[in-house]
Amino acid sequence: MSPSLLRGLLLFVIAVVLGFALMGFEMLASRYLNPYFGGTINTWAALIATVLVALMAGYLLGGALVDRTMSPRLCGVLLVVAGVYLFSIPLWVDPLFGWILVRMGDGVVGTLLAATALLLLPLTLMSVFTPFAVRLLLTSVNVGGRIVSYVYGVSTVGNVLGTLVTTFTLVPSFGSRALTMAFAVVTAACGVIMVGCGRFLRGDAK
Amino acid sequence: MIRPISWRSGWIAGLACLFAALAVNRPPLAQEAGLLEKRESLYNNIFVFGDKELVTMTFGQNKRYYTESSMRLSDPGALSVGYTRYMTLGVAYPAKLERMLEIGLGGGRTVSYLNAALPDTAILAVELDKDVVELAKKYFRFTESAKLRTLVSDGRSFLLRDNDRWDVIMIDAYRGPFVPFHLLTKEFYTLVKSRLAPGGVVVQNIEPSTMLFDSATATLASVFPSVDLYGAEGNVVAIAYEGPSLRQADLLARATAAQERYKLRYDLRTMVAVRRVLGRPTGKVMSDDFAPVETMRAIEQHNEKWKEQTEAPR
Repeated sequence: MSPSLLRGLLLFVIAVVLGFALMGFEMLASRYLNPYFGGTINTWAALIATVLVALMAGYLLGGALVDRTMSPRLCGVLLVVAGVYLFSIPLWVDPLFGWILVRMGDGVVGTLLAATALLLLPLTLMSVFTPFAVRLLLTSVNVGGRIVSYVYGVSTVGNVLGTLVTTFTLVPSFGSRALTMAFAVVTAACGVIMVGCGRFLRGDAK
Repeated sequence: MIRPISWRSGWIAGLACLFAALAVNRPPLAQEAGLLEKRESLYNNIFVFGDKELVTMTFGQNKRYYTESSMRLSDPGALSVGYTRYMTLGVAYPAKLERMLEIGLGGGRTVSYLNAALPDTAILAVELDKDVVELAKKYFRFTESAKLRTLVSDGRSFLLRDNDRWDVIMIDAYRGPFVPFHLLTKEFYTLVKSRLAPGGVVVQNIEPSTMLFDSATATLASVFPSVDLYGAEGNVVAIAYEGPSLRQADLLARATAAQERYKLRYDLRTMVAVRRVLGRPTGKVMSDDFAPVETMRAIEQHNEKWKEQTEAPR
């Protein structure tokens, strides 16, 4: 297997895993929010909007960082930070949400603030990966379209699996806190791999 | 002379008919007769059906209608849904009845009945859906007063923000066929317990036909030392409280005192007689962390199976 093929494979595997963890955690976030802000369409609207804002921020940040640095290690460090944040959520989520509810109520302000505290930072850092993967795989503008489509396609496969498997298999079998920590570990592990294989992932990309 | 309709105006007329047909959002034909109002609220598809005798509020889900409330027009004071009579049994337990809370208003028949019989007790009904409150007023003769108020909020987030204590907390919050998971967990019942006045009780309507029932009662029992269950025409009404299980003779004495004082139409003494005491909860305790309600309510069980977990009161 040629190094460039191996590099592509590794990045696609990371894309699937991160895509899984990202949507899996979005589904879990509803379990954190519902006890405080109700299990209604309002809560889902706040949740989905926050996730989309995080994706937007992550893509913008990732694009800017990768063009400046071309450093897979930087992306890896950001993923480790996302993992640490996710891992810490079960420690503070209940007191924080209780405080938000009492201070701001369960309307749009309180619910959006809670969803932001839960999701914005880790999901932004996780979605930084996508532009990094595109740039690292981009060896020629002639294949640019395909590279972008593969990276988005593969990570969306991860999104779909994360949504379905988390909802129909993981949540009925394990606690939300344990699953959050598992997603945290997986995310951090992707980051560690990117730090460890930084030189290899950077490869001959120009 | 009759002019033939031009191709163009025929086309427009056809399109207009199509839009008109699409605009009429029909419920399934079998139930369409007697539909008084359909409302798509933020939370529910609410259908109010009625004829000369009966008005019924239902929530539509999965092409079925789930009755939330009903009222007989010739006898609006009657509690025509059987289990709601047992929801009033909370009145028999506490020593004082200054304040009662209901989570889930529906048509408001139960609180209206209690308000009429207990004029000195302040009753607050917390209802998530403001359209449900409006429809209760429009079709179910529900009226607010100084002693009977409503508040639009999620039940749990209301309790989290409100520090008042209640002598009776009644929970009857169904969205169609199901209770939302965050009103069935250990953390929720712990919150409810912290909002009960000394001697207060929580009364909850629980549907016994799925495995979720076993978990709901086990969860109640993990927070409250005493849980009584009353079979009520297909539903089960659970009454949970602090302290050791009441002796049947003591409860009957309390029910008799309350009955003599309030002259309730549905005799508390008769209802107390069907009491069962939860002795051996078999379900898994649910928490905010782990509450696989979707899985559990998919597993059906025989309607009378719940009695196996109970014993006769002493």
